[in-house]
Amino acid sequence: MIDFLRRLLRTPQGILGCLIIAVVLIAVVAGGWVTPYGPEDMQALARYKAPSATHWLGTDQYGRDILSRLLDGARSTVAMAVLATFIGTLAGAVLGTGSAYLGGRADEFIMRTVDAVMAIPSLLLALLVVSLLGSNSWNALLAIAIAFAPSMARISRSVALTVRKQDYVSAAIARGEGAGYIVLREMLPNVIAPIVVEMTIRVSFAVMLFATLSFLGLGAQPPATDWGLMVSEARQYLHRSYWILLWPSAAIALTAIGFNLLGDGLRDALNPRT
Amino acid sequence: MTAEASPVLAIRDYSLAYHVAERKAEVLKSVNLSIARGEILGLVGESGSGKSSLASAIMRYLPRNAEENSGDIFLGQTDLRAQSQRAMSDIRGSRISMVFQDPATSLNPTLRLGEQLAEVLIRHQGMSKAQAWREGEERLALVGLKTPAEMMHRFPHEVSGGEKQRVVIATAFACNPELIIFDEPTTALDVITARQILDLFTELQAKTGVASLYISHDLALLSQTAQRVAVLEKGTIVEEGETAALFRAPSHPYTRALIDAVPHPERSLAEASVNASSGPLVKIRDVSVHYGRKSLFDSLLRRDFKGVAGNRAISLDIRQGEILGIVGESGSGKSTLAKAMTGLNRFEGLIEFDGRPLRGLSDMNRDYRREVQIIFQNPDASLNPRQKISEILARPIKLYGSKGHATVRDRIEAMLERVRLPRSFIDRYPHQLSGGEKQRIAIARAFLSSPRLVICDEITSALDVSVQASVTELLMELHRETNATYVFITHDINLVRQIAHRIAVMYRGELVEVVDSKAITDPDRAPYTRELLAAVTPPASTRLDAILS
Repeated sequence: MIDFLRRLLRTPQGILGCLIIAVVLIAVVAGGWVTPYGPEDMQALARYKAPSATHWLGTDQYGRDILSRLLDGARSTVAMAVLATFIGTLAGAVLGTGSAYLGGRADEFIMRTVDAVMAIPSLLLALLVVSLLGSNSWNALLAIAIAFAPSMARISRSVALTVRKQDYVSAAIARGEGAGYIVLREMLPNVIAPIVVEMTIRVSFAVMLFATLSFLGLGAQPPATDWGLMVSEARQYLHRSYWILLWPSAAIALTAIGFNLLGDGLRDALNPRT
Repeated sequence: MTAEASPVLAIRDYSLAYHVAERKAEVLKSVNLSIARGEILGLVGESGSGKSSLASAIMRYLPRNAEENSGDIFLGQTDLRAQSQRAMSDIRGSRISMVFQDPATSLNPTLRLGEQLAEVLIRHQGMSKAQAWREGEERLALVGLKTPAEMMHRFPHEVSGGEKQRVVIATAFACNPELIIFDEPTTALDVITARQILDLFTELQAKTGVASLYISHDLALLSQTAQRVAVLEKGTIVEEGETAALFRAPSHPYTRALIDAVPHPERSLAEASVNASSGPLVKIRDVSVHYGRKSLFDSLLRRDFKGVAGNRAISLDIRQGEILGIVGESGSGKSTLAKAMTGLNRFEGLIEFDGRPLRGLSDMNRDYRREVQIIFQNPDASLNPRQKISEILARPIKLYGSKGHATVRDRIEAMLERVRLPRSFIDRYPHQLSGGEKQRIAIARAFLSSPRLVICDEITSALDVSVQASVTELLMELHRETNATYVFITHDINLVRQIAHRIAVMYRGELVEVVDSKAITDPDRAPYTRELLAAVTPPASTRLDAILS
């Protein structure tokens, strides 16, 4: 484990990614407590204030402190994105590995279905799911998970196909193990490395997809502090006070970059041969 | 006389170490070697002894974490260590060349064979493309390829393994180098092909008078090809001398151990043949295996489908308690048969196990799975790298239920002792074990279910000679204890003659014959069996005995 961390921190992407993610994680864990103001406290006298000593990142149209709102929103935005990615990845990995294990007609059937789902752009698919189930954060999470599963299934299947040919899988079949044990205990642990890398990169997509859904009014609803929603609301005040739009956008971008860098670092660290 | 005195390759007091995770791993310790013109020096050692590192050091192709001492490597008068990478790339291929183990990976699959051969000639001899192509054809004729002009236009996947290795050898000899390094050039080939390649090598060697460094783990093979042999153990050359003298009277204990570990067909390890009157445990009747699957598209178009045949109508009896060896080249269907018997391949025909008929995979119930166990060739692949030994060995107990009141952990520890491994291995991962230890774990897994039939699929061929001997010994010991029936699949005919009661010979998916292992040398055997036996290199000391007597 220590050796793994050292390898991760040896690459510049790894260090930078870890740093950014650490900052974001602090905001996620402690964001609610360290806010200087309540995220929904309105101050009628302090509307549209530019960044200053009292309000570090300025205030919005209702006089709410933007820093407080950002810190508070980190939990819902980032945690939801990670959770959605995790669910989507897990579903995709099990589906892909299972498909590779079954092979033949079943594999053909699963993969062609996956192809069909993949043909629909993920945003469109997410929109479809949310509009069918109703718009709230949990449905948005489910929508994103479903949108991510097919491509994860493809990736894990291609890795699992090589694992499928290994003798330890043959040995398990020869001693009469069930399909569940073979997929979950024999194959999945051996395909996990590339999937973890892909997952970290996916998290940044999920953050942006969440933001997009919230922006379109299909995710979190006002007065929630979801970053995407904040961007969406700030749009009308762009010309009057641009910082209301700037800070949440920057937060989303930073998180996305952080996870991307971490993914690059993990890819090198998990593959000691490169 | 002066030319005789100065060797082609001289290595003096050379040491090499790799930096791994802030530690220094020494691979070569003050190595001294010299090869004269026209001489073949055999370098023998087990895996990890530093053979390949020495080859890389001579080729000046070392990884970045390598650290060398001040020793010398001279090629003729050229100090190889003083050469820049640029100068080395002129030397490589023209003055030193190399033949690798596996021709399938040392040839580029996207280039025609001719292009790969001509490239060397263009690069080092400054020939034009047309000239090089013509010259290449001549070179291919020289290595015994029958249609060189056609061969030049083929891609590597269009020719056989032996033909590929011939092209690699032609490339190595192309610029008349002073030194050629052979890194186990026949290990990846079939017995018969390997013999042909070896004959070609000796012939070309005699014709060109090139100095050769022949790296191998196969003592028997070296005793036939090399004039001098150096034995490498853990980076140190422990013994070096004339081949005949060294094999006759090895002075170092390691050399003696290596020579003793080589299987001898005369020294039988199997007990007196089993009682033939006891009925067969397994009856195989007309079992065929076809690979491939009719695709949906084909069945829609009502196209006929022909799979690739792995086995063609095999009929075979396996007697209770016997050790049946199955030999044959790669692709002869040995493993396919093993996979059919363990339910890894679909088959047509009938397998009768202890009176119970099995016509397909669905007939193989849990009892059958328990009683028939398979051990695979490569323990690296057959043990899941992400599971601890405790989990790997607990599976058969959990699946088939445990007898008695011993806990799972106790039974695993007892089994570890039976396969001569310390109990503490139970909490380790496979990668923390050596190759031989891993194979013992795989054997332990098979025997935990107290099987009646154990199929050993090339289980010793991925191991070093000395480890191979101890694993074989363990198997024989378990055979005496449990009286399980063995099917021992291998391409090592010396080994199988040593342990098997009967030997089945397979060729291209068909069973050629089944003979008593003592009678396999009889002159009235099938032609293919005789050809196979003729290609086998007899163990070193037997051959020397024959010379001496």
